[in-house]
Amino acid sequence: MNGGVILNWLASTPDFAVPYALAALGLILSERAGVLSLGAEGLMLVGALAGIGAQIAIGQPAVSLALAMLAAATVSVLFAVMVIWLRVNQVIAGLALVFFCQGLTALVGSLAGWTNHATEGIGAMGLWPLSLLPGVGRLFEQNAMVWLTLPLFGAVAWFFARTATGLRLRAVGENPQAADAAGIRVPAWRFAAVLAGSALVGLAGAYISVVSTKLWIAGMTGGRGWIAVGLVIFARWSPWKALVGALLFGCIEALIPQLAAAGVQLPQYFVMMTPYAVTLGVMVWVALSRRGADEEPGALGQAYVREERR
Amino acid sequence: MPNALELTGIRKSFDGFAALTDAHFAARWGEVHALLGENGAGKSSLMNIAAGLYAPEAGQLLVDDNAVRFAGPRDAARQRIGMVHQHFKLVRPFTVAQNILLTAPPSAEFRSHGERLRDIARDIRNKASALGFDIDPMRRVDTLSIAEQQRVEILKVLLAGARILILDEPTAVLTDQEAARLLQTVQGLARGGAAVVLVTHKMADVKTYADRVTVMRGGRTVATLRPQDASVAELVKLTVGEAVAASAFRPAPSARGAVRLSVRGLRTPASPEGRRVLDGVDLVLHAGEIYGLAGVGGNGQGELAGAILGLPGEAVEGEIRLEGQGDLKTMAASARRGLGIAAIPADRYGLALAGGLSVAENYAIGRVHTGRYGPVWRLRRGRIQADTQEAVRAFDVQGVRSVAQKAALLSGGNAQKLVLAREFGKSPALVLAHSPSRGLDVRASAEVHARLRAARDGGAAVLLISEDLDEVLQLADRVGVMTRGRIAGEFAQPADRQAIGQAMVDHG
Amino acid sequence: MAEAALAPDTARGAAPHRAQPLARRRYALEIRQHMAWRWQALILAAALAAGFAISAAILVAAGVPADELANEFVTQTFLDGQNFRAVLFQAAPMILVGLAGSLAFRARFWNLGLEGQMIWGAIGATAVSIWQLGPEPLRLPLMFAAAIGCGLLWVLGPAWLKLRLGVNEIISTLMLNYMAANFLLHLVYGAWKDPKDSFPYSPQFRVFERLPELGAGIGSAILLAGIVALLAWWLVGVSRAGLYLRFVDANPRVAHANGVPVRRTIYGAVLLSGAMAGLAGFAVAAGQEGRLTQAFYQGYGFSGILIAFLARNNPLAATVVALLVAALFVTGRSLQVFYQVPFSMVQLIQAIIVVCVASSDFFIRHRLRRVGTETAP
Repeated sequence: MNGGVILNWLASTPDFAVPYALAALGLILSERAGVLSLGAEGLMLVGALAGIGAQIAIGQPAVSLALAMLAAATVSVLFAVMVIWLRVNQVIAGLALVFFCQGLTALVGSLAGWTNHATEGIGAMGLWPLSLLPGVGRLFEQNAMVWLTLPLFGAVAWFFARTATGLRLRAVGENPQAADAAGIRVPAWRFAAVLAGSALVGLAGAYISVVSTKLWIAGMTGGRGWIAVGLVIFARWSPWKALVGALLFGCIEALIPQLAAAGVQLPQYFVMMTPYAVTLGVMVWVALSRRGADEEPGALGQAYVREERR
Repeated sequence: MPNALELTGIRKSFDGFAALTDAHFAARWGEVHALLGENGAGKSSLMNIAAGLYAPEAGQLLVDDNAVRFAGPRDAARQRIGMVHQHFKLVRPFTVAQNILLTAPPSAEFRSHGERLRDIARDIRNKASALGFDIDPMRRVDTLSIAEQQRVEILKVLLAGARILILDEPTAVLTDQEAARLLQTVQGLARGGAAVVLVTHKMADVKTYADRVTVMRGGRTVATLRPQDASVAELVKLTVGEAVAASAFRPAPSARGAVRLSVRGLRTPASPEGRRVLDGVDLVLHAGEIYGLAGVGGNGQGELAGAILGLPGEAVEGEIRLEGQGDLKTMAASARRGLGIAAIPADRYGLALAGGLSVAENYAIGRVHTGRYGPVWRLRRGRIQADTQEAVRAFDVQGVRSVAQKAALLSGGNAQKLVLAREFGKSPALVLAHSPSRGLDVRASAEVHARLRAARDGGAAVLLISEDLDEVLQLADRVGVMTRGRIAGEFAQPADRQAIGQAMVDHG
Repeated sequence: MAEAALAPDTARGAAPHRAQPLARRRYALEIRQHMAWRWQALILAAALAAGFAISAAILVAAGVPADELANEFVTQTFLDGQNFRAVLFQAAPMILVGLAGSLAFRARFWNLGLEGQMIWGAIGATAVSIWQLGPEPLRLPLMFAAAIGCGLLWVLGPAWLKLRLGVNEIISTLMLNYMAANFLLHLVYGAWKDPKDSFPYSPQFRVFERLPELGAGIGSAILLAGIVALLAWWLVGVSRAGLYLRFVDANPRVAHANGVPVRRTIYGAVLLSGAMAGLAGFAVAAGQEGRLTQAFYQGYGFSGILIAFLARNNPLAATVVALLVAALFVTGRSLQVFYQVPFSMVQLIQAIIVVCVASSDFFIRHRLRRVGTETAP
């Protein structure tokens, strides 16, 4: 295993990490407001499909990505109405959303003939002057979306830590009774959080189809949405920890093709199991360490009714 | 002098239960006005209406003699009304400043978030020192003691501009010194012109700090007077009412038997502030007697009951010995049920009955493990139905059209009778009754009491935990007073009511 | 008006002067204690009707003529002999996963790992065939036992993790799904690949390793499913464990306080659920396909959840719903053949129905009440 392979591996990691990172960020937005969003897998598919569709029709990656975000946010309105207004159990609503999106995207994708239709992606951008370094410089030649992810994380982290709006959103997720008593309209804020979070999750899906693989296949997210849900728990709802977790999963996924290229003989399908096994391991570790409970948004997963009690 | 806050003719019910039937209240500027009554008298409901959280079905609300209607707590805040609830509405992971920022009125000019927090922190420090205490605005709320959190709540409403302050049972969770400090502080606020409403059941506080007191009982206002003009005894009488013309105390037919239950040194872990919910409870219960545990709620009664029954909760140390069975703490709850312990918990639908299941199922679960209703592979539904119907008849459970109907449909009294039917069907050796007549009318209460007496006469040991002093005095052969997690005193019957009331008041 | 009704928390504030009459009513959202069965059924029927209407609209938009829809779904599916046999064929594993879902959900355990357990059931049965365990007459029963055992073991991990460590079973069962799917590919592309041709499946089962036909072209898998349904009904409705399970489902705290052995009950229900799902895998492998294939399990996971949800976890209702879902699958296939509608339409229809029914629960569980002062000054 020489330096070249390691360099290849590290250079390809960000590409694999970005979908996890963006999806986790979107989930953090909605979960910090108290809404458990299990529909991430479905929303990523919607973003992926919309992104490819837009790319085939228009051909401008930036526009396609933006439209993908819009599409995911629109579909998430259904979910938001179900859990915030109709107080449907958030687990059922999330599962229903996933299967709805899976069916819808498969249907639209095949009817519109977008399956396996290759498109152009976006080019790599070097981070000058680091990209000029010999050897290691390759690590800093990543596409624009990778570079964009970092300030995005910074923006969300700053939003939560240092703005009054972020404070209000966190209050809604921690103690909706207190927020309500303070005059904050809990349903409206949750709605906004779900839509904004879903847009990010859609972007994650669109990244996979528009930037990474440059085509659409039904079900192409392959469980990444579910892994992102576990990732958020592992990251204890903190954006920066989620980024670290995303990088970890990106490393694991990036390793798979590198091992094959390096001629290491491992059973192919066992290697493909790794992300899922790692997720499971991560969940067990979180449960064992038990520290995650403190950072969990106090009212996560509970519908809010200003119920009049005696 | 105009009234700062006035409520007249208020009526309010919840899902059929009438919490307020004809309530009046009026507080003036510059006074401390106590709202006095037992638990369930309607005090908190009335003040929740004043704070805009509930909307009344009938009646009127006036602020400064102007009629108002509130659609939510924000409207009340705009009328300068601020309420400090029993369960604080604070976001625990946030700092003090962040919590107060949530309710602070927006500033006139643009300030960045960091600047606003600094402004708020400065206001907090100023206000706190003006009131005579010390709060670090940068501390997280979950690191503060209960007393400190309460001060944050008070600062919150004051900094939001409240001139009418409502405090709901503020001293319930405070030590004596903390309570004294708090009440002196609010007295100072009243002298400064604010109107302070003190919702409480503690006579001592009323006598010491209130300028006027309104007494509520059973959802209506009973009297408004100056506490200086009345003795504690008279206040007690107004609050608790004349003794119900029903049963007077009837002693047991035979002398009590051997020790049935012995509790020693029951203790829960200490909280960070050093308080323990159970602080060394020692209790001895004999067969054929009713031990009445009196005391204000929140002093550890629920935890004591939970420890004896084996419900999930904090780990307790100490000993709980049942005659002939050894230490109960070593047994799981499911094992304890087979030992002849009957439980009548306070939280009917949280611990005794599954509302979504039928009356018959709720009845059957009591004895199904004995095999009475068939072997493991077959439930004998016919027998369950017959037994349930018989029990419903014997215990006079009303409103049961069919034993297959859901238990949640039963009214409070009938649900309680169903629980009794199930529990007493097992001929128990130990009966643990926690607030058994809560929410029941006089007739239902009398029936429940008769059952408890019958169990005692049959040789069971009965532990009666109740906040209703009347109930305790009517039933108990011995009376214990529980405050602050331990038994503060025991009295034999016939007991001196005033002495017991005093014991509760002194420590609670 | 609708806005005020659905989002009462955002009711506008009243002006602080004179009380305003009609225009400023405040609504409160209350949790309803109970709703009579006939109203619940009515709301459920309305939700189903809405779901089917939306699905029909989408089908028409996808190119299926409207009048043909009724023909296809009702007449062709139930009245045509061959199609009806296909429905029964399809119904056997459907009933089993529906029962598996119902049982686990009754214990408040979200067993989303039905597909993974199916896969392992099929793998277990195939292992017996490939390794030729046991004499010929015992082969099929051994496959049956292996399927149940493997399905059960594959859910044991998540069950223990939840009850002992509190690990969320949604994620754990789903992750195991993906792992099982990959392991299946590993087997059918690798060690167990049929050497006769280049397709990813195991060698065909021998005659005595397949579920026999009952005559008239109906497989015995449906009989198996029917027996399991009866057993499930017996467990839930007749045995003592059924009562315990009902208490655990209604209120675990009350169950515990009343002496129900909560842990044992949950373990029992969940492990049985896994066993049934494993059996579904056996039914498909030994009943339909006759070998281990790479994608036989697809669609059953969500179908199981859907069936359990619509049947409100009742075993007999689940059997009926499973038949209908099987009919939906068969219809979906013929729509695919005759009208080129992709099979993913079936999944979409299922999801639409779940959304409609779940949303309609709002009206069953809540009540809107008007509150406000009656006297005006």
